[in-house]
Amino acid sequence: MDGYVLVLWAVRLLFLALIYLFLARVILTLLRDLRAAAREPASRPGRLVVLASPTGEPPPGHSIALDVVTPLGRDVNNAVVIDDPFASAEHAVLTFRGRTWFLEDLESTNGTYVNGRRVSGVAPVGYGDELQIGEVRMRLERSA
Amino acid sequence: MTASGTLPVTGSARRLVLPRIRPRPRWLEFRLLVLVAVTVIVGNVSLAATLDGRWGLHDAAGLALYLGALFAAHVAQVLAGRRTDQILLPTIGLLGGISLLLMERLPQDTIRQSIFGTTLGLAQVQLVWLLLGLAIATILGIVVRSDSWLRRYKYTWAALGIALLLLTFVMGSVVNGQRLTLQLGPISGQPSELLKVILVVFLAGYLSENRALLVEQDTRLGPLRLPPVPYLAPMVAMWAIALLIVVVQRDLGTALLFFGVFLALLYVATGRIALVLIGLALFVLGSIVMGQLVDTIRTRFEIWLDPFADPLGAGYQVVQALHAFARGGLLGMGLGNGLPEVAGRLPIPEVHTDFPLAALGEELGIIGVIGVLGLFLVVVERGLRIGASAADDYRSLLAIGLALIIGIQAFIIAAGNLKVLPLTGVTLPFISYGGSSLLANSLVVGLLLALSDKGVEPPPPPRVGSRWRLPRRAR
Repeated sequence: MDGYVLVLWAVRLLFLALIYLFLARVILTLLRDLRAAAREPASRPGRLVVLASPTGEPPPGHSIALDVVTPLGRDVNNAVVIDDPFASAEHAVLTFRGRTWFLEDLESTNGTYVNGRRVSGVAPVGYGDELQIGEVRMRLERSA
Repeated sequence: MTASGTLPVTGSARRLVLPRIRPRPRWLEFRLLVLVAVTVIVGNVSLAATLDGRWGLHDAAGLALYLGALFAAHVAQVLAGRRTDQILLPTIGLLGGISLLLMERLPQDTIRQSIFGTTLGLAQVQLVWLLLGLAIATILGIVVRSDSWLRRYKYTWAALGIALLLLTFVMGSVVNGQRLTLQLGPISGQPSELLKVILVVFLAGYLSENRALLVEQDTRLGPLRLPPVPYLAPMVAMWAIALLIVVVQRDLGTALLFFGVFLALLYVATGRIALVLIGLALFVLGSIVMGQLVDTIRTRFEIWLDPFADPLGAGYQVVQALHAFARGGLLGMGLGNGLPEVAGRLPIPEVHTDFPLAALGEELGIIGVIGVLGLFLVVVERGLRIGASAADDYRSLLAIGLALIIGIQAFIIAAGNLKVLPLTGVTLPFISYGGSSLLANSLVVGLLLALSDKGVEPPPPPRVGSRWRLPRRAR
């Protein structure tokens, strides 16, 4: 009988140990996953996907990797050149500060729109938001 | 120029992507499932040795059916070939397995249900629900490839949720002084379980659309700077709904769950702790006022503060649970070795729905309880991770909200069992007995699985917000 009880206790402890073995294996996997995510270069925290661009500059369908400060406008010195008759030379600037993107309209003639609303001054934008300058529409996305 | 420039949906984004199905091995999931199977089998042997006094399996058929279903779910996902999360299924599989062991160990005549002429006991009914839950999670994880059916119709979902809530208020049947169960013909269930999913679907849509404006600090209230008044309205409405649930349903747990999920999502969306603190203060204030006005709630508070004032009456359940934890100690009494019944009734009333953690504490000890809570943490971590790598804000908020439902609900009932919070009648996800709870939580896991796939359809372009919510300044 004593042997039976001993083995029974061993089985009971084994059950508890197995729960922790499962947890340990899962947590190791999670840590590896998190470390891999942390190693990924975070220098380019987003991209712009061009949804519509009647003049072809920027080319529709392309995605443009963004720097922490990205000026947009018709002038060729901008990081994102928007060749649209309604765009100003220095139209707007996208900046990544802290954990969020901000869009600043540089007092352009025809305005900058986020999800169809005109931006005045600096506005926070989220991933998935749609920016419109002139007739060019772009979507801000997390870089893949 | 205002919001009238509506954005036509582009052809490329709307193109129906017909996925090519190619099987994709999921070795991590397979290895973890093998570990789960071994764990559950060992638990079953331990249970049989204690209850039946012999080496063998306690309920071989039920065990085989459950493990078979787990591996069938795995095979289905391999064949579907989607790159979804591989940790969620084994984790809820282990939780379900522990639930099954617990239900097999409780007196089987606690629940008797006749389906097609055969009468099923507690463990068998729970097994049926677990199998259905696994099926739901797997099917959702395989089939759902687009979230637009949730995203587009958020106000429709909200209306549906409120209708469900009102229906429960009016037609719900009262059990133990709580108006929770809704009976429609042959189907009965607890709508609040489904409601919590609808709540997250709505909040994710609302917050991702109005995030920018909620961050704006416009209203001043003493030293506090709050968002513009129109955007505070949903917060106040949420608060009112939570209190209404307390008053009409006498259900503090669900109210706390809804409000907790709401505040957590608000924090995730805006990153402003002040909003959360104000909300929490409002809820505590409301609960205290309600506690003074509503008898049921006041009793709960009194039991919480001093269960030993009436240990054989009002405080019986809580006192018995505390004794169960005490008997369990560090390593527990062993599966099946707790006190099954005292004088022909359950030692802890409603142990299978409200106090599964106390039963686990008695039989597996604090070590086992911490292990089970760790499993819930894993589910929450997966949800947050899926949210962090989602393609846009809506999916982030949706994934985080779904995971937090499970996390916060587990916290509320675990804290209630341990007398950290007043006891409330929510279920412990995946472990408590109960069809509504299991199916709703499987729905949550299924959606999380679907959201975790990187290769899903890109998010649709955002829609222009409705104009009545635009403050004049923004035009």
